[in-house]
Amino acid sequence: MITFILKRLGSGIVVLFVVSILVFSLLYVSSGSIARNILGDQATPEQLAVKNAELGLDQPILARYFSWLTGALRGDLGASWFTSEPVASSLATRIPVTMTMVFVAMTLIAIIATLIGVAAAVKRGWVDRVVQIGAIIGDSIPGFVIGIILVTILAIQMGFFPATSTIAPGVGADAWALSLALPVIALLINGVTGGAQQIRSAVIKQLERDYVRTLRSRGIGEREVLFKHVLRSAAPAGLTVLSLQLIGMLGGVVIIEQIFALPGMGPLAVAATSQSDQPVVMGVVMYTVVVVIVVNLIVDLLNGWLNPKVRVS
Amino acid sequence: MKLGPKAAAAALILSTSLALTACGGGGAAGSNNPGAPKTTTLTLGTVQEIRSWDPAQAHVGHILQPYQAAYDSLILREPDGKLSPMLATDWKYNDTNTKLTVDLRTDVTFSDGAKFDAEAAKANLDHFKTANGPQMAQLTAVSDVAVVDADTIELNLTQPDPSLEYYLSQAAGLMGSPKALGTEGIKTEPVGSGPYVMDKAATVKDSQSVFTARKDYWNKDIQKFEKVTFKTLTDLTARTNALVSGQVDATLLDPKTGKQAEGAKMKLASNQVDWQGLLLLDRDGTKNAALGNVKVRQAINYAFDRKTIVDQVLLGQGTPTSQPFGKESGAWTEELENYYSYDPAKAKALLKEAGYETGVTLDVPAVPGFETQLAVIKQQLNDIGITLNVGAAITNTYTSDISAQKFTSILFSLFQGEPWVATNQIISTKALYNPFKNTTPELQAKIDAVEKGGKDAGKLAQEVNKYVVEQAWFAPLYRVNQMYYHNSKIAVEPQIQQAVPSLYNYSPAS
Repeated sequence: MITFILKRLGSGIVVLFVVSILVFSLLYVSSGSIARNILGDQATPEQLAVKNAELGLDQPILARYFSWLTGALRGDLGASWFTSEPVASSLATRIPVTMTMVFVAMTLIAIIATLIGVAAAVKRGWVDRVVQIGAIIGDSIPGFVIGIILVTILAIQMGFFPATSTIAPGVGADAWALSLALPVIALLINGVTGGAQQIRSAVIKQLERDYVRTLRSRGIGEREVLFKHVLRSAAPAGLTVLSLQLIGMLGGVVIIEQIFALPGMGPLAVAATSQSDQPVVMGVVMYTVVVVIVVNLIVDLLNGWLNPKVRVS
Repeated sequence: MKLGPKAAAAALILSTSLALTACGGGGAAGSNNPGAPKTTTLTLGTVQEIRSWDPAQAHVGHILQPYQAAYDSLILREPDGKLSPMLATDWKYNDTNTKLTVDLRTDVTFSDGAKFDAEAAKANLDHFKTANGPQMAQLTAVSDVAVVDADTIELNLTQPDPSLEYYLSQAAGLMGSPKALGTEGIKTEPVGSGPYVMDKAATVKDSQSVFTARKDYWNKDIQKFEKVTFKTLTDLTARTNALVSGQVDATLLDPKTGKQAEGAKMKLASNQVDWQGLLLLDRDGTKNAALGNVKVRQAINYAFDRKTIVDQVLLGQGTPTSQPFGKESGAWTEELENYYSYDPAKAKALLKEAGYETGVTLDVPAVPGFETQLAVIKQQLNDIGITLNVGAAITNTYTSDISAQKFTSILFSLFQGEPWVATNQIISTKALYNPFKNTTPELQAKIDAVEKGGKDAGKLAQEVNKYVVEQAWFAPLYRVNQMYYHNSKIAVEPQIQQAVPSLYNYSPAS
């Protein structure tokens, strides 16, 4: 178990390293106008040269990468070229907003998708048909469109929620809940419909297996069959789809945060990428890769816990 | 039972989610009752986050406004562009326009208690010249700043700069506390002599900056609110939603979202700040020989049905024009406005005279946000036999690609500022948007006259304007209406050459 975790963490570090090289090279290609973008149209060549030297942009790519890497290994991710704000503190204020939203959305997706998926698989008939149709509709509407519809109806017309975030220091839990409610709903609908579909088919597949027939023939109750045996065998499929959704959500949340003006990772990532603000982009990418690695590891461990058959040695 | 911990976890999650959903309801959308007392707060939706509160990092246009809460400038620019005293009580040039003597107020202190005087003003100007801010070029002409006495400074210039007084009402004129300049602290918390001070506890990076009225502020006339909040809303949809739901009092929209705001009874404070059109950069025909021929450039100008383009691209929210200078710049003239009216037959004839009846190919880079414009002009150019090839552009290297002469023509949106600013942006050989350094002795003489023109710079720039229009250096299409909307709780006066008005232009509605 420990060696498994260590191995996975080791390969995670390799992935981090490779991604950092790739992203750094891509940013290098588009960093030609940085000094000009910072100093404006009318800056003189001398002023541009000073700025380039200040940012280390006059160095060759390898020198620049190693200076970033040695800093990052010491825990220093540098500071934004445009705002001078240290990257670590930018991330520290934004990660809680984004991760609260993603965590709440994922939790709700897990619960709702499981309930709907199991209901559709067990009841079949009209329940199943409603779930299937709902899944097609839910899957085909992008999250940001759902977000805009929700704002228009629930925030602007009915006034139940703020149209854009009111999260600020010192505001109570109610402000957080009100500000996050609509973005979370916008985020979770696609996840619920997609997840329910996967869980439904996994449960149906298990229900048709021989061991279920055997259990039933021994007079074991339907409830116990379902919750103790079928769900446990169907769980790996569900967990895998949930983990994929979480990783996909890290992208989707960027647009949702823009629409709701949430001070999370989204605005930071968009602004930094469009400006080629290399230290910030590197910080955001590294954070994302770490989240993906950790999520995958947790899912693998959970799978092993739920289902000894897939447990790793 | 083995399911224990899992069941407990599920129960915990379920109760959390129930608590969350139970919190719904009760949000208050902004509404204004007639007869309600005057508002004492102002909440503005801003399109961009402030990079740093160091006054030397201040920018132009929409990004100047938040700095005006914390900082006074030496000169105040009125909504119509007139320059009035602020921290400077008086200023005048010597005969050669190479030395500007500025008298200063003596009764002003900064929010940290430091006194504003000649030394403080010099410290700010010196700091601005070396702090590598986005507008540092504003003081390029200033060689040094001398303290004459406690309330007088002299700015010595290497060459005349007709825009200098204007710059002192902009980023270069913002005065911060000399004790705070250059420190880390001022990057996140401004220290100025302005009408408001930052409420650091309520300010969140990337979300909002909150200011409260400064007690004993010297100029109560411009301190009209008790609290001013700048809410960062980079996304257009978010700005629209925040405005119509009453979360912000005013913000910048576009023609399409403006319709939604009008439906919610928001008021428009419209203004023209930018022009859009083609910059025919390769006027000597270095890389595209056809562009070296003035008749070809004129033919391009005659090819455009500008009225239709305005209707299609901007839903009518713009004014067709043939000149690159703005209406309030002083360089604008009525006769140049429709100099090139839509005339495809004339365009074809000009191409024939120039020897290009078999066709001309024009390459432009694709710039995000200009897809519709490019599609429309491609079709209209095609009608007179010019093929428009739309290539690729990488936004982040766009300006360096321009100065590297990578593009022979571009379709772009440009700010219409003061004549000298515009000349150095698109016409002079120093201009970024004149990468092939095109000029003629005739044009250079006209530009020199503007530089030395002092107060007459605007009038003299009319000659520059006339020259580049006749020589078809550009193919301007239209000036864009800036769609700045506000609710009825406040009154807003537009500011010339700014999409977003100066902070002084807002007041509680009576």
